[in-house]
Amino acid sequence: MTTALEGRNLSRAFGGFRALDDVDIAVESGEIRGLIGPNGAGKSTLIDVLSGRAENWSGQIRLNGEDITRLKVQDRRHRGLARSFQRTNIFPAIAIGTQLTVASRALGETGLSDVVEALTLGHLLDRRADEVSYGDQRRLDLALALVGRPQVLLLDEPAAGLTVEESLKLAEILRDLVRRWGLTVLIVEHDMEVIFSICDRITVLHLGKILAEGDPGEIRRHPSVVSAYLGSQA
Amino acid sequence: MSIGESQLGGVGVRMAQQRYSWIFGLAALALVLGIAAPHLIASLLWMSLLTQAVVDMMLATSVGILVRQNGRISFGQAAFFGLGAYTFGVIAAREIASPELALLAGLVLPTVVAFLLGLVIARIPGVAHAMLTLAVGQALYEVAFKWRALANGDDGMSVRMPDTIFGIDSDVFQSPATMLVICWSLLVLMLLALSLMARSPFGQLTEVIRENDERARFIGYGTTLPRAIIYGVSAFIAATAGILQTLYDGYISPQMLHWSASGMAMIMAIVGGPRILWGPALGAFVLFFFKDIAGDATEYWPALVGGTLIAVTLFLPEGFAGLIIRLTSRAVRRIKGERP
Ligand SMILES: Nc1ncnc2c1ncn2[C@@H]1O[C@H](COP(=O)(O)OP(=O)(O)OP(=O)(O)O)[C@@H](O)[C@H]1O
Ligand SMILES: [Mg+2]
Repeated sequence: MTTALEGRNLSRAFGGFRALDDVDIAVESGEIRGLIGPNGAGKSTLIDVLSGRAENWSGQIRLNGEDITRLKVQDRRHRGLARSFQRTNIFPAIAIGTQLTVASRALGETGLSDVVEALTLGHLLDRRADEVSYGDQRRLDLALALVGRPQVLLLDEPAAGLTVEESLKLAEILRDLVRRWGLTVLIVEHDMEVIFSICDRITVLHLGKILAEGDPGEIRRHPSVVSAYLGSQA
Repeated sequence: MSIGESQLGGVGVRMAQQRYSWIFGLAALALVLGIAAPHLIASLLWMSLLTQAVVDMMLATSVGILVRQNGRISFGQAAFFGLGAYTFGVIAAREIASPELALLAGLVLPTVVAFLLGLVIARIPGVAHAMLTLAVGQALYEVAFKWRALANGDDGMSVRMPDTIFGIDSDVFQSPATMLVICWSLLVLMLLALSLMARSPFGQLTEVIRENDERARFIGYGTTLPRAIIYGVSAFIAATAGILQTLYDGYISPQMLHWSASGMAMIMAIVGGPRILWGPALGAFVLFFFKDIAGDATEYWPALVGGTLIAVTLFLPEGFAGLIIRLTSRAVRRIKGERP
């Protein structure tokens, strides 16, 4: 197995507060990796650093062995590193079909119809993104990350704000697509049922540091994970 | 191929073609109307006023395109209007180069300056952006105002026209009947070009960037260059308006660059509705004559203009153009027998 995405000594501070404190992470190619931890643990901060969104951070990042530490967001995206957002990040006053078309002009059309079909956006292509339901907007946010069939996908709570049924359905869709395309995934998710069922390995963040890492069984039994985060959930 | 087309099949393509023939049809109609105008309007005064109004419409369009494609507010657009006028006027009056070259320089210099400025300030949003454009505009105004050797400072300078420009007799540019047709035709062609641009992949990209600069980068686009190109396009239109005014008046003065001219252009764009391509031109047309009438009625006419701006912002967020579109689509629905 080869390492698809690797971060070393990743740190990011807000004022004196270290939201990310010397974190190392390596995700193998084809792996689905869960990233869990309590609110404020630094999960989104880690995704921001890896995807190029963060400013004022330190460390090194490699994508398939290539150093992408200094690459801009759009250059990382062209190399196959894509992400979705915890807070929906779409183009409000633009028709959904136009957004996906513009994205595919930059990233290629590979798999575009698969994405539209899997995320059931086909009947919404003519609608403006700010005129559809929240659930539709979440699926659009995800679709924008999937355009051009990226290689590594960073998902920051793709089901945030969805109902239980909606999020279970979304998890199923994602699992199918990820398997079919053989994507490498790093997913942040609060629903432990989803995490334990789809992830090959899990990384636990706590106060900006890695608390534990292992397969679902190991994490479920890990004493400090149970006391710091899982509690009675496990 | 876009997914819209692939999923809608031939229907989508056909709809797009119909929309294009609409645009060309409207533009042709507008051109014919413009050519007919001097024969329909007998009064020289009216033709002269209309010529001035069309120059304002062009400047307002240049402000509007910045709002529409970039989501940016400018309080310094007169800088490019004036820079075009001064570049052309000074070179032509001092016979530094041929009038044709002066005209080209008057178009190219503002476009390039705006493009380069755009590379620097394009990603700065909101009030900071508005203040920066104001500062740039006032800086140029100060130069024109104080630098007497350039064009007599605040006195302004008359620009004696050469006999011909591009083989056209300069009288053509100074007589209202012909200048009205020239200005109007150029405005129509610009609106046509802008509406084709807005529908092109580049136009779609700039609108996507306008909506969400960050996410645009996350779908693989650099956002600075497209924004800077829009600044260049916008300045090109403003410079054209400035050169036309110089040709017509045979005179340049620092007032052309003053912030109040920029502010007025912005007000015209907002009143007309900058999200709609022809909205700013409509706003300029309405306000040009509103100013004229209000100015005859009271010396406090700026208060009336301000009042109009407030009323439109509060009650017509899409401006007059939005109102017209809403009313016509309601009328069309009624004719088709649908309930509104
Ligand atoms: N822009 C910011 N300025 C200051 N502090 C910030 C900023 N962004 C995040 N933080 C802080 O950094 C810490 C980590 O935030 P982060 O969003 O990464 O947490 P998270 O693990 O994603 O939490 P959640 O589960 O709530 O999404 C939090 O304490 C947060 O308050
Ligand atoms: Mg988060």
